[in-house]
Amino acid sequence: MELTLTDDQQLLRETAIRFMQAACPLETIRSLVDEKSRTDLPAGYLQEAAELGWFSLLVPEEFGGGSISGDGLRDAAILAEERGRRLQPGPFIAMNVMASALANGGTADQRERVLPAVMSGEAGAAWLANDATGAWAPGESISVTPKDDGFVLSGVAGVVQGAAEATWLLVVASGSDGLSQFLIPADGAGVTIHPLDSHDISQRFATVELSEVQTGPDALVGASGESGADIERQFQIALTLLVAETLGALDGLFEMTRQYAVDRIAFGRPIGSYQGIKYQLADMSLSIEAAHAVSTAATKAVQNGQSDAGEMASMAKAWLGDIGIEVAQGCFQIFAGIGYTWEHDLHLFLRRITMNGLLLGQSEWHRERICTIHGL
Amino acid sequence: MTETNASAGVTAIPDLEAYRGQARNWLANNMERRVGPPEHHEVDHYTPAVIANSRALQRRVYEAGYAGISFPKEYGGQGLPSAYEAAYNEEAKDYVLADFGILTGTTFGVCVPTMVAHGQPAFLAEFLPKVLAGEALVCQFFSEPSSGSDLAGARTRATKDGELWILNGQKIWSTYAHLADWGMCLARSDWDQPKHRGLTWFAVPCDAPGLTIRPIRQINDTSEFCEDFFDDVTIPDLYRIGDINEGWTVTQTMLVRERGGGRPVDANAELHAGSLAPDLVQLARRAGTTEDPTVRQKIGRAHTIDFVGAALSARIGELNRLGRLDPGSAAYGKLFKGVYDPVRARIAVEVGGPGALAWQPDDEGGPETSLYYLNCRIMSIAGGTNEMQRNGIGERKLGLPREPSFDTGKPFSQVLRDATNWTGKP
Repeated sequence: MELTLTDDQQLLRETAIRFMQAACPLETIRSLVDEKSRTDLPAGYLQEAAELGWFSLLVPEEFGGGSISGDGLRDAAILAEERGRRLQPGPFIAMNVMASALANGGTADQRERVLPAVMSGEAGAAWLANDATGAWAPGESISVTPKDDGFVLSGVAGVVQGAAEATWLLVVASGSDGLSQFLIPADGAGVTIHPLDSHDISQRFATVELSEVQTGPDALVGASGESGADIERQFQIALTLLVAETLGALDGLFEMTRQYAVDRIAFGRPIGSYQGIKYQLADMSLSIEAAHAVSTAATKAVQNGQSDAGEMASMAKAWLGDIGIEVAQGCFQIFAGIGYTWEHDLHLFLRRITMNGLLLGQSEWHRERICTIHGL
Repeated sequence: MTETNASAGVTAIPDLEAYRGQARNWLANNMERRVGPPEHHEVDHYTPAVIANSRALQRRVYEAGYAGISFPKEYGGQGLPSAYEAAYNEEAKDYVLADFGILTGTTFGVCVPTMVAHGQPAFLAEFLPKVLAGEALVCQFFSEPSSGSDLAGARTRATKDGELWILNGQKIWSTYAHLADWGMCLARSDWDQPKHRGLTWFAVPCDAPGLTIRPIRQINDTSEFCEDFFDDVTIPDLYRIGDINEGWTVTQTMLVRERGGGRPVDANAELHAGSLAPDLVQLARRAGTTEDPTVRQKIGRAHTIDFVGAALSARIGELNRLGRLDPGSAAYGKLFKGVYDPVRARIAVEVGGPGALAWQPDDEGGPETSLYYLNCRIMSIAGGTNEMQRNGIGERKLGLPREPSFDTGKPFSQVLRDATNWTGKP
């Protein structure tokens, strides 16, 4: 979280927290799991969230959107962090990526028909930029070929968040002319969505199969074969928000652990008074404090469109990927046995943090990308 | 205190812009403009000759009335509001000024402000003009062979003899004591009081009879730190800083100064990714391993550490600017370096391979990686070990309970006796 928020940002944050506490506390998430619900969302969640502005922040006012502070991504990162702290489900990142993509490069029809539905939470969104294994690899396993005056899309995207409930899919496909993006209905002919069970039980993923999905030219978002820069920009937005969400989850888990170290008595003392425990917590807290620093730095850079923003977002993701999994394990160690029980919330956080570390490029992938950016 | 400096005749407060203009003229006519950015020097740059040169520069500034602009007049300053000092500093920033290395920080950043807060007026009137004139550089006689992290466990003995004090004991890790004029010394004045209650601070001239200062030969084969032997060093009571046995109060002032914290920074200053760890890329090129995926991972990791460290300092600097910097937050910056400097150093030797750690005898740059590796130990110990930072973060920032204490509430002499017959029972 940034060190200072404007009054309006503070209001956005507090309103969001009240909504999340009422609409989807951890008990609700647990009951959706116990019911083996195919949806991870309580009824009306997206619409209510939309009323608080969650999906309009990256859209200019001329298209019906509006940020809080003038810096929409910084506002969205505040929400993402609070969402992570409460392990909120739902395609928050995909909705914002979709809204931003349509505002930025959508056709007039897409902006008039689809964008308002996304911003109002009436239509769920998913972004298909993974390969079949779920690894971040835009266009790797979905191809496009021209047909008549339209296109044919084929391929598979794995581990796509929010796909099972999406109304619209934003598809990255590679063709002979390069990378393109298409906006297609999720219930169209040739689209099959296979819901998945997953490690992260607080949200749902799906594999999306496209077999010879026919689209007209009006499904293109941006010019054919020229979407590389748009995809990079959307990637930076998604990375920034995923980093903020992971950080929120880490903060939430760490605070539970810190409190436990103060309360738990062993050998006649609170366990947090032992340097053996205290030093582990201090080291974890350093990792998290540094994560706040790098997360806000990357968010500002992406917001401002700095030329090195992509690299900064990658470094933030690599840092969170590494420390996330270490801190989650460290917290488990301090809770000890109770943390291995289903009833304790630790595993819910552990699951989200682990999963987020793997989505949108693992730390190793980002480190390699950093070297490549520098021409090494 | 007599006013000896040239412009001391000014009594009315001058107009700020007129003052700035005068300062600009004086600098242009008397000081040398610097070419390029401020230089950073290695430890062994600061020889007695280099220090003497800086003293001459400081003397020139002092005589013109531009040293201690906001200091009280009775202490050799100009007694002007701090805006005047800021104006002068802005005008002076592109000139070659006195550079005493780490002694600049220990003198002007830590010791002198503490002395001003707690010293005796008659001492300060004699001492501070010398400081401003560059004739009194102050080192820190803080740590001892038997008390490093545990500063309040000092065992250097101060015995009062009429109006004199006699000091006996040993100090260590006193940076550049061999180049300093004075040292600020913590000593035990009452062994029958509890640990924190029997301490007193003194200003000690480095040329006092009985004081032997020896540079320590460090693992990097340079000498930045010294060890200092006190054999019946006798000083007047005038040199005492703060009340007798109230040394811990003085220490609190001093520690706040020493820990400092980040420079205030503008919240909206842009951070950048920076160059890809240039030292490591060079090592990989030399070793011919830039295509090796494991090497690329290491370089990517080091670059990320560099960037995260910079972002963390900026965050701490912003806290400082907002007036919200607490000692716990400042400890994050210190611990980050203490933990990640050695990680980065290890990456350097791994990327460089054996060829980076052996060199032709006539290759001047040959030892670079070796020295870097060795020097990356410093931040995990100097100015408070990683463990002390973790205590600070754990107790002040995270609100974790303290460890039980075995050295409070009983005479220090008994603390030492009990510790040597340790049973583990409080």
